[in-house]
Amino acid sequence: MTQKEKEILVIDDENVMREGCKRILAKDGWKIYLCENGEQGLEVVNEKGLSLDVILLDLMMPGISGMEVLEKLNEMGIPHNVIVITGYATVDLAVEAMKKGAYDFISKPFTPDQLRLVVNRAFEKRELEREAERLKQEREKSLRDIATEKSRIKTIINCMGDGVLVTNNQCLPVLINPVAQRIFGIKEEDILDKSLSNLISENELINMVKEVLQGSKKNIFSISKELSFSSQPGNIYRAHTAAVKDESDEIIGAVTVIQDITKMKELDRMKDEFVAMVSHELRAPVAAIEQHISVILEGMVGQLNEQQTKMLKRVKERTKGLLDLVKDLLDLSKIEAGLVVQYKEPLKLKDIIGKVIDILNPQAEAKNITLDFKEEEELPEIIADKSNMEEVFMNLVSNAIKYTNEGGKVEVILAKDGKYAKIEVADTGIGIPKDELPKIFEKFYRVKTEKTRAIVGTGLGLSIVKKIIEAHFGSITVKSEENKGTTFTILLPFRPEG
Amino acid sequence: MAKILLVDDDPDLVEAVTIILESKNYDVIAAYGGIEGLEKAKKENPDLIVLDVMMPDKDGYEVCKELKADPEYSKIPILLLTAVASRISTTRYTQQMGLETEADDYIDKPVEPKVLVERIETLLGKQK
Repeated sequence: MTQKEKEILVIDDENVMREGCKRILAKDGWKIYLCENGEQGLEVVNEKGLSLDVILLDLMMPGISGMEVLEKLNEMGIPHNVIVITGYATVDLAVEAMKKGAYDFISKPFTPDQLRLVVNRAFEKRELEREAERLKQEREKSLRDIATEKSRIKTIINCMGDGVLVTNNQCLPVLINPVAQRIFGIKEEDILDKSLSNLISENELINMVKEVLQGSKKNIFSISKELSFSSQPGNIYRAHTAAVKDESDEIIGAVTVIQDITKMKELDRMKDEFVAMVSHELRAPVAAIEQHISVILEGMVGQLNEQQTKMLKRVKERTKGLLDLVKDLLDLSKIEAGLVVQYKEPLKLKDIIGKVIDILNPQAEAKNITLDFKEEEELPEIIADKSNMEEVFMNLVSNAIKYTNEGGKVEVILAKDGKYAKIEVADTGIGIPKDELPKIFEKFYRVKTEKTRAIVGTGLGLSIVKKIIEAHFGSITVKSEENKGTTFTILLPFRPEG
Repeated sequence: MAKILLVDDDPDLVEAVTIILESKNYDVIAAYGGIEGLEKAKKENPDLIVLDVMMPDKDGYEVCKELKADPEYSKIPILLLTAVASRISTTRYTQQMGLETEADDYIDKPVEPKVLVERIETLLGKQK
């Protein structure tokens, strides 16, 4: 708020008084209006209104008296802050003026300090009034905002195309939106004071809610399941239940969102059929090609020279890559169909990564690569889907081995970074050119250089990894220097405490 | 020499695998579908059957099941040629395979000639 200029109106018939006040107050930074009678004074009040902070009013004036000016001011309904100037020994008048709403009085003659004192006090009072008014308005506004927000949330929930079911920690429904009411065939008025199991007969859903409400013991905070309900035969729903916690982390209820995925499932089935068909149609000819090449390479249809052998081996590598691509495509289509986060449970990253390292160790040994795994300190658990996490680290570590030359090193370091687990997968491999770095998480992107030519890959692995990490509210970044090595850094949130 | 029945609906694959088997002097009989394969198995009574899984008229599982149910042919070893659809499903598929079929062994297509020959020799009880 910008500081407003202090404004004062002096109404007095004596020029000496007016000029005297002006001289004293001007030094203190007041903006001063001078009037020599009541009529003029009222005009100024009319014009300036609330911006006048203080009015100095002489009671004894020709024309309308100060007392009448006070009465007029009261009639005008403008809140004012009047200090009356009374003559010597006219306390009675001053008392009467105060009764009529004047704030203070000063009797003539007065010293400059007396004037300053009384005027400043009146000004401070005015400031406090203004502050009180501002606070009052703010409070009204926040009350209005809360009411608006409540109504907005209610409208959003009621307009949603998904069913919403909220229960308290006793499993009593506190909110069932119209879509959910329709799904379960219940009415608004049925909801009051009934337990969930008295209201609906879908045991699997009720168990989901109960499981989430008991979360603190079993450490499960959200569950997602595909269900069908007896009230809606033939339809398939995805129910997602999550716990609501208060500020001390106690579970106070559960929110369940129910989405009708019947059509999606149908599309999904059609897509699966299509992908299965395409992949078979793609695989069969490639498999036949590779089969023929194998036969030729074995020298079963005549001896090959060195050049022919070399080229045919390369052709075979490429057809193998093509078959891998078909496999990855199938995997990716599953992930994109939303099958990523199936069942989140508390996991120890150490166990997951340890297992992956065990599986990949023979590959590293075959290339004489040192494969190290370090956990810097005992880390809390994360909440994640186990098979997803295995997929992520299988991908990253096997990539690191693939792109590292013989005798190099691949290291996985598990550390703590605030509320996140930090996993670094570092290699001493061929690295990634700087301008290629931003693109490596894109689908089908592969760095194509002379060095990567001999490595067969599908260009889908990293985009699968990224999708999984993001579905777990984490992040993945990469740093790389050509011929020095590459480091992937993953952050995954720890399980919330409590 | 042992007589091997090779069943696959892809003629190119049949040709390539035939070359592999003939290079080891096996007597190869080819069939280009499940029904034809079943007929030839009964007619020729081979020492071993190499059987593709995905065939349009009758798939390899069914052919396998029918032969294994018939006491006259149940002793013929069957090597299934499988085409695994996706990496993620590999293990699951393999487990299911072992449990649900009575095939004696299985091998992924395309096959490495050496591996194929090894498996056949094992099944025929002629390990080196």
